[in-house]
Amino acid sequence: MKSTKILFIALLIPLVSFTAIHKFYVSVTQIEYIEEKESVQMIMRIFVDDLEKLLRTRYDKSITLDESKKDDQIDAYIGKYLANKVEVKINNKLVAFKFLGKEYEDDIVFCYLEINNISDINDFEITNNLFFEIFKEQQNIIKADIKSKNKSIVLTSQNNKVKINFD
Amino acid sequence: MKKLKYLCLSFLFISFGMSAQEETQPERKPGHKNENKFKELYDEFATPNMFRTGSGAPGPGYYQQQADYKMDLQLDDVNSRLSGSETITYTNNSPDELKFLWIQLDQNMRAPDSKTPLIESTFTSPTESPSNFVKKYMKDPLERGFHIEKVTDTNGKALSHTINSTMMRVELPTPMHTGDKFSFNIQWWYNVNNHVEEGGRSGFEYFAEEDNKIYVMAQFYPRMAVYNDVEGWQNAQFFGRDEFALPFGNFEVNITVPADHILDGTGKLMNRKDVFTKTMMDRYEKAKKSYEEPVVIVTQDEAEVAQKSKSTKTKTWKLYAENVRDFGWASSRKFIWDMMAVKIGGKDVMAVSLYPPEANPLWGDWSSKTVASTLISYSRMTFNYPYHKAISASAPMGMEYPMICYNFGRPEKDGTISDRTKYGMMGVIIHEVGHNFFPMIVNSDERQWTWMDEGLNTFVQYVAQQDFGTKYPAALSAGDRDFPSRRGPAKNIVPYMSGDQDYIAPIMSKGLNTHQFGNNAYGKPATALNILRETVMGRELFDYSFKEYANRWKFKHPTPEDFFRTMEDASAFDLDWYWRGWFYTTDYVDIGLKDVKRLYVSSQPNEAAKKDAASKKISIDDLGPLVYFIEEGSEEYNIGIKNNEPLENSTTLKEYLMDNFTEEERKNIISPKYFYNITFEKPGGLVMPIIVEYTYADGTNERVTYPAQIWRHNDREVSRTMAKQKEIVSIQIDPDMETADIDTSNNAWPKEIKQSQFEKFKSKN
Repeated sequence: MKSTKILFIALLIPLVSFTAIHKFYVSVTQIEYIEEKESVQMIMRIFVDDLEKLLRTRYDKSITLDESKKDDQIDAYIGKYLANKVEVKINNKLVAFKFLGKEYEDDIVFCYLEINNISDINDFEITNNLFFEIFKEQQNIIKADIKSKNKSIVLTSQNNKVKINFD
Repeated sequence: MKKLKYLCLSFLFISFGMSAQEETQPERKPGHKNENKFKELYDEFATPNMFRTGSGAPGPGYYQQQADYKMDLQLDDVNSRLSGSETITYTNNSPDELKFLWIQLDQNMRAPDSKTPLIESTFTSPTESPSNFVKKYMKDPLERGFHIEKVTDTNGKALSHTINSTMMRVELPTPMHTGDKFSFNIQWWYNVNNHVEEGGRSGFEYFAEEDNKIYVMAQFYPRMAVYNDVEGWQNAQFFGRDEFALPFGNFEVNITVPADHILDGTGKLMNRKDVFTKTMMDRYEKAKKSYEEPVVIVTQDEAEVAQKSKSTKTKTWKLYAENVRDFGWASSRKFIWDMMAVKIGGKDVMAVSLYPPEANPLWGDWSSKTVASTLISYSRMTFNYPYHKAISASAPMGMEYPMICYNFGRPEKDGTISDRTKYGMMGVIIHEVGHNFFPMIVNSDERQWTWMDEGLNTFVQYVAQQDFGTKYPAALSAGDRDFPSRRGPAKNIVPYMSGDQDYIAPIMSKGLNTHQFGNNAYGKPATALNILRETVMGRELFDYSFKEYANRWKFKHPTPEDFFRTMEDASAFDLDWYWRGWFYTTDYVDIGLKDVKRLYVSSQPNEAAKKDAASKKISIDDLGPLVYFIEEGSEEYNIGIKNNEPLENSTTLKEYLMDNFTEEERKNIISPKYFYNITFEKPGGLVMPIIVEYTYADGTNERVTYPAQIWRHNDREVSRTMAKQKEIVSIQIDPDMETADIDTSNNAWPKEIKQSQFEKFKSKN
């Protein structure tokens, strides 16, 4: 038993070693509810190199994320991946979001997601499993601004969802 | 004009007095300590002493230890094993008696019994790929860590020693007193780690196609720990994150590697004639005079030939370095080698690059030029680079050692170079070469304070990147006017500083214990210094003080207080409030406009004055001749006053002017027409200057910066009375987004309905 434990942890060493330009694995999802438009708007900030590594590992080794090139296939992959890894429940009901597209700024990709026809929110739950399969130390930060209530939380693979109540 | 102001003041004074009287006496509050944000940092700072003065400079009793090394190293390329025998000569310059020495054994971080994995909280993921499963649960741990064969004195007599994970205590046969020197030998070996698969700040990278390795070596030898006036022995364990604390010394290192390897590292190459061919020597002589373009010492063709075979012979490279805190070297038969010269303070320094064919053409085009440009920028911001060379070696990491650093960024297999790869490679070279200054020369304690080298270095990196983009426009991609810098601009730190407080730590925290290491130790301190330079102090005062800090502490061991104090000492800027807020707390900036009121001058007593008179039980006339302010929209307000000049509205004021000024003087008197009372609020905990842009009806605008001290009496809310010739039509706080204000929705009057980033994207697509 002891030896398996040691094996288990010894292999975690690579995950906790760092370099002087530290690579940290973080995404930020900003969620805003626009009541008059009945719309939940989400902007995800993801590091370009993380997303590229993910798309290469999951879908196609030849993918290069480059601002100057427009590639619908890449957007299709991103949409598919986000639909697979991000789950939103509003008022305890699973709702689908639309991936509107992405934008680059320096080394960050902004992904735009929208949920329509939300007339009211009593509670909001988001599960975010982005990148856990390739980065064990991934942190997915959620920042919600819903009905004048601000909530910010860091999700990890051990704690991958958050529910906010508005009662 | 002066008197007119006095009138306004007296009005304010009265109203202040009134409101105090109106308040009902609250229940008596308990006393409190000084919690003012402008309180001096006496509690947080160490008391100045003979070692470190209150000015932030080294004191008359300042000392530092010295550790000199002589090493013979053998690289076994087949088994990826390094063995060495090492003589350390330690000099005790401290006033203290030492009974034992502490030596760092960093390689033990990856030994089978390492505690590094044990300090991590782990969990079982519900699913696992078969390959991961095998790797995780079914394989033996790798044979890593130091094997210490012998620790002896110079006569070969064994010295008693104890290993505690990554630290080794060696007992001294007799205690060392001030000025004593002690030499001892250590014989060791270890299996070099594959840094790509196992991680690490040094090790080898494996190229399976031709069964070759690139070694980028560091922490490869038992290293002396630092002993100083602040920590005693800095022997905190190396868990893999917090980097190093090392004393200065001289290194004489002989490295034996396969004969077909190309090697370079810290120090001067002492036997160039033995290891260079005639052709290499000729090229080297050319490189020493080439200031514009690098000269190739080993060409790509030569490297491609070399990597196809393996020599069974060996070659010894002899390096000697003075006054360095560490030693690193890189070796491979895959290396292309180029060099160029760069003038630093009238002296020639060599900018050197080592890279495999896989890194070209990117590295051949840009590596050495990036090194050269970085040395120029950092020398301007600090002091002239004192060493004779700076090497950038290609390895998939970013890590720094004296005179040599290891940098990522290579083209894709199909030859494409994305912008990200290119800028990433240039950025990391600038960052790692910059580390020569912080912490290799300004030798702070990285084990305790990651931000002191990473934060300062990332700050100067921003300056150096902008310089580089200006110097080499050809390095920028089409459409880019500046080098894209991730860390430095204020707005880039907003997502971090506005985040979940449970996962944010003050900058003054040990790196190991923080959640968001990158933002905490690199991004936030770099941004804080950038804001200090651009917004708070101004470039001239900041740059002078920053340079003073670098010069006071080059080749010495500074602490955070030494930095904080020097920045004040050299600038006459009281910055305790800035250090307290930005470095000792997780507070954030949020300053906004709470209220803007337009006021009119009147002869008619206003409500406030009437109440005042009533409370004093006197007639309104007994208050004396007064100029009254009427608020727009209040009960006393009417269209009449709106359309009149202030002098027409107030006979009191008019009479006063007639009685006290000659006609000539009255002609020159400025009569403001527009009066405002503007209230600023500060929901954020950080104290910052209020930068305000007033825009007037004629389209002109004016910037006013109220120094941070405006918040000293009220940390939540302050107000300003404005007397203007022109009507204000809009007010904007922090118009250039230079303060990292986390919520800009309260920054404008009238409130702007801005199109959100989301809506902007939607309407574009």
